[in-house]
Amino acid sequence: MSSSSRRATSRVPSRIVAGIGLSHVPSVGPVIDRARQADPAWKPLFDAYVPVRAWLEKLEPDVAIVVYNDHGADFTFDKYPTFALGAADRYRIADEGFGTRPLPEVAGHADFSIHLCEQLIAAEFDLTVCQELGVEHGFLVPMNLCFPHSESGWPVRSVPLQVNVIQHPLPTARRCFRLGQALRGAVESYAGDLKVVVLGTGGMSHQLQGKRFGYMNEAFDQWFLDQLESDPEGLSAISHHRIMEEAGAEAVELIMWLTMRGALSPGAKRVHRHYYAPMTTGMGLITFAG
Amino acid sequence: MCAALCDPREREAFKRDEEAFMARFSLSEAEKDLIRKRDFAGLIEAGMNIYFMLKIGSATGNSLYRMGAQMRGETYEQFLSTRNIKGAV
Repeated sequence: MSSSSRRATSRVPSRIVAGIGLSHVPSVGPVIDRARQADPAWKPLFDAYVPVRAWLEKLEPDVAIVVYNDHGADFTFDKYPTFALGAADRYRIADEGFGTRPLPEVAGHADFSIHLCEQLIAAEFDLTVCQELGVEHGFLVPMNLCFPHSESGWPVRSVPLQVNVIQHPLPTARRCFRLGQALRGAVESYAGDLKVVVLGTGGMSHQLQGKRFGYMNEAFDQWFLDQLESDPEGLSAISHHRIMEEAGAEAVELIMWLTMRGALSPGAKRVHRHYYAPMTTGMGLITFAG
Repeated sequence: MCAALCDPREREAFKRDEEAFMARFSLSEAEKDLIRKRDFAGLIEAGMNIYFMLKIGSATGNSLYRMGAQMRGETYEQFLSTRNIKGAV
């Protein structure tokens, strides 16, 4: 690998211009593919993204780093990495068991990714580096909500950052927060003049297995949003056990929001906030200016 | 086995001959029986991960919400009646 200073096309440092926490509910995908966004049951969700999309258009980001988890589409339990980073110029749309969605291939930024890998591994985050990767709803639904695609592609390039939140033992919330802090340093040391948005995805409250199927806890979710804004360092002390008990087993995905928050300044200003819980998942949305 | 179901040809193979499909993987007789009976609560009890079970759901025509209703011990309609906005499926 060549050094990042030789690869970069500009001497101007890159910077994180926004951070977004949002849910990645799979049922949103077919709603978009069938253009059902105006259905009364779905309209409240999509309406919340109208100002977010307008805001993102003004920010003109070059790259979205998407912190997500794979749900058994391209990683299975024979080998499941704790943290994995995409380092490719393109990512295919994966079939996670329901067919391949009609979406354009995702454009990556291999040079930027390789820089992030070098910096994060030097910062003692031992990532799995993926030169081939298929992405699925955990990655694609947040992209759909924030960055409308055309037939030819997406308005930003992407870097997938995959976190194991589905097969114990999981990384701690604090580890995810620290990864975000290291990510900020890695982004800012890339002399490519990139404007970067970090998406932290998953959650909020939901339980998809056993007798407690369908459990949600709006009070917990609202508290989490409050803490994410005002005291992310304190919030990162939360245990998996507490999240799973209070917000459902699958709510543990929320630790990925802490990676996004860790990548922002401690006093980052919140811009948007929304919550909608129609079926089995508390669908939260919170945005911060970088 | 569930990972294989991420391939449309494998889903067709499962639908064509479920027994032959299951025989390719090192499943116990008890595990096969849970799949035969579409016993989703039993599969979870036996250690199945929900996201991999969804792939069996897809191949057998059982949506997440249908599997969820069964795990709760309810009919699909009973389950839907407990939701805030049941049209968001």
